[in-house]
Amino acid sequence: MGEVSARCALEVRLLAARPVPLDVMLTCRSTELLALVGPSGAGKTTVLRAIAGLLRPSAGLVAVDGETWFSSESGVFVPPQARRVGLVFQDYALFPHLSALDNVAIALGSGLEPDPRRKAKSLLARVRLEGLEERRPAELSGGERQRVALARALAREPRVLLLDEPFSAVDRGTRERLKRELRILRESLEIPIVLVTHDIDEALALADRLSVLDHGTTIASGRPDEVRSRPSSPAVARLMGHANVFDGVVEAVAGEGGPGRIRWRGTVLVAGATGCFSKGERVTWLIGPENVALLKPGDRAGEAPENGIDGILTELLGASDQMIAAVRVGEGSDALLQFRIAAREARRLGLAPGTPVTVSLLSDAIHLMAPER
Amino acid sequence: MDWTAFALSLKLAFWTCVLILPVGVVAGRALAWGQFRGKALLEALILLPLVLPPTVLGYYLLVGFAPGSALGRLFASLFGAPLVFSFSGILVASLIANLPFAIQPLERAFEAIPPAVREAAWVSGLSNWRTFLKIELPLAWPGLVSGLALTFAHTLGEFGVILMIGGNIPGETQTLSIALYDRVQAFRNWEAGAMAAVLLAFSFLAIAIVHVMARRRPWLHG
Amino acid sequence: MQILRRGILASVITLFWAPGLGRAAEEPVVAAASDLQFALAEIRALFAAQTGRDVRLAFGSSGNIARQIRSGAPIELFLSADESHVLALARDGLTEGEGLLYALGRIVIIVPHGSPLEADGSLEDLKAALARGRVEKFAIANPEHAPYGQRAKEVLIRKDLWSALEGKLVLGENVSQAAQFATSGAAQGGIIAHSLALSPDVGRRGTFALIPADWHTPLRQRMVLVKGAGSVAREFFELVRGPGGRAILKRYGFTLPGEPG
Repeated sequence: MGEVSARCALEVRLLAARPVPLDVMLTCRSTELLALVGPSGAGKTTVLRAIAGLLRPSAGLVAVDGETWFSSESGVFVPPQARRVGLVFQDYALFPHLSALDNVAIALGSGLEPDPRRKAKSLLARVRLEGLEERRPAELSGGERQRVALARALAREPRVLLLDEPFSAVDRGTRERLKRELRILRESLEIPIVLVTHDIDEALALADRLSVLDHGTTIASGRPDEVRSRPSSPAVARLMGHANVFDGVVEAVAGEGGPGRIRWRGTVLVAGATGCFSKGERVTWLIGPENVALLKPGDRAGEAPENGIDGILTELLGASDQMIAAVRVGEGSDALLQFRIAAREARRLGLAPGTPVTVSLLSDAIHLMAPER
Repeated sequence: MDWTAFALSLKLAFWTCVLILPVGVVAGRALAWGQFRGKALLEALILLPLVLPPTVLGYYLLVGFAPGSALGRLFASLFGAPLVFSFSGILVASLIANLPFAIQPLERAFEAIPPAVREAAWVSGLSNWRTFLKIELPLAWPGLVSGLALTFAHTLGEFGVILMIGGNIPGETQTLSIALYDRVQAFRNWEAGAMAAVLLAFSFLAIAIVHVMARRRPWLHG
Repeated sequence: MQILRRGILASVITLFWAPGLGRAAEEPVVAAASDLQFALAEIRALFAAQTGRDVRLAFGSSGNIARQIRSGAPIELFLSADESHVLALARDGLTEGEGLLYALGRIVIIVPHGSPLEADGSLEDLKAALARGRVEKFAIANPEHAPYGQRAKEVLIRKDLWSALEGKLVLGENVSQAAQFATSGAAQGGIIAHSLALSPDVGRRGTFALIPADWHTPLRQRMVLVKGAGSVAREFFELVRGPGGRAILKRYGFTLPGEPG
């Protein structure tokens, strides 16, 4: 694992009581994109502002590429102007009285760059805005403005790039385009990128690392697919958008004697792993909808399905390719199991609310967590 | 038309504007973005001259800077003449009376600048001074022009305070509005009419400028 | 374009440079009671014609001017409508001696054209009109600090008109403003200085009549040079007391000292 020797390009530890309570720890390597997710008000923007130097927390550390920008221990605080940080604000914060070109050129105007306007022009070209240099922000579309903001953020060759909810204010088409461009851009940038978003899917699609923030505290950190499929707590699971989260009791611990067993609503589920939970312990378990399969007539008839659950189909949502179906397990219960099915398939099977169905749960995908108090 | 009085009025308005401009910018900015105790009190104090009867201001200046008093002696040593009956004196009175006219529009103008824009400037490497010069000032410009226009017009029209502490000394403290009053008393109505027309024109011009400036920010939307 | 703007800026700044500096060589300020509004303007013109020099005239009520002198106003010569102010200033060492008597003033009743009042110097008409309720407003100078106003009050008290008229009085800050009020048509009439009534600007707006001089304390008008007065002020002083000034004062109805009134 060569990663051990790779330097942590960005190291952040923040502790604060005001203006928002903060207890954050995150790291990011060069060329990595770290997605910071969490609900609104979780403090994600605050973290970005602290990295940029717009905020000085009571305690902590912000170090980039070995250089300390903030350390409460040694009393160091580098002002934002002196930090080579690129920050794309949520509403872009472009200078309204300057043209796109001047917006970027002014960031280069400190005297180190001999020809700011030429460099600005090439930066705008890099974000594919040639021809629009003389326009003012009011004359640009949302996507164009964002690209100007990006060019401006990149102007000083920053050591870290921070993006605050870059995709929230644009329409879907633009969003997809911008995501593609960001991926392309990443290849030429060799700096850590921190992207703040409340959209889990976005984070999962773009990030190398994921950090989950809730009420100012980091509650999960790791590779996106891991954080998603194996969240460390029901709170993280909720934030990751998991739908199939239920309570159960461990009946048997997975190990030499066989797979683990979980008792749930009168059924016993086979679980591939039971982690460090012991028999009789109450747990919260989850399974991703992609790991819940609809059993169709003719599916290996005769064999007992893996974790087969009977229920009534209650919802069938979505109109285009992928639909989300919910199965009510047990009469009059509120336990709904979600799974995904192609629309064509649903039509072919004649699925409709009220249809009795059987679904199968992949035992290895069942993930256990300590229940919330 | 009393050209001496006219020139004196212009001179008073000009110097009031020049001297109050940095005060307006600094104070307007501090009030727009500063967080400090007593801010509300300071804002109220600055607004005071708006509602204060001019004679009250005149009274306190007369009493405070009377030739025998400490303040009066200090003033005289600094400016070579006592506060009362001198141009320096009416200039001081004018500066105080115009504080709200200069500070308010600038405070509003600075307030209207989204904080994120200033932060973007800092993050883009602009020092506080360059941010002020290249970002804040240009964006606050209409407010600045409004403030100056109002101050200029208001100074031209000042009467009560100037009469009280300036006396009515031609060439020194007899401004156009006082000269107007003087002419009416002397039954020289034609001259008074000419002066009134000039003052009216300036007032109208000031309001027009303020009005135009208030609409002058299309690039701030978006 | 840049040069043009810089040029304008530079000239504007030079034009307005040094607020209040270098006033020493200016014409001296001569402060006079407002009854001399027109007479003194003529004397000033004569002064300019004779000596080629000028003075700055400031008019007001004698009491106000005295107060200003006490507060240090840069006044070099004071022509009061009343002795008492001059003597008080002299007593307080603010002047060069007690100055001299330059004229004796008179008061008149003036009524604008179309007024229900008549210009009756005995004030009987005023009395009758008051009784008939034909008088709403009557203008005099403020008795607090204007000698002409004070004398007006005296005669009104003497004729038993003061209490009836008090609520209807319009007080001018000085006798010139009183004349303004009296002739504007907003008041039915007023008591003002004879010298003002004699000027065409005022006189043509109505009719007036002298009020007997022995009905009030005489208006002994005294002028004095303030301590530190310069040579130009002195020259002006001499002109006022000399034949040139006296001739003009006489035309404005003043009785000159040394001549029968």
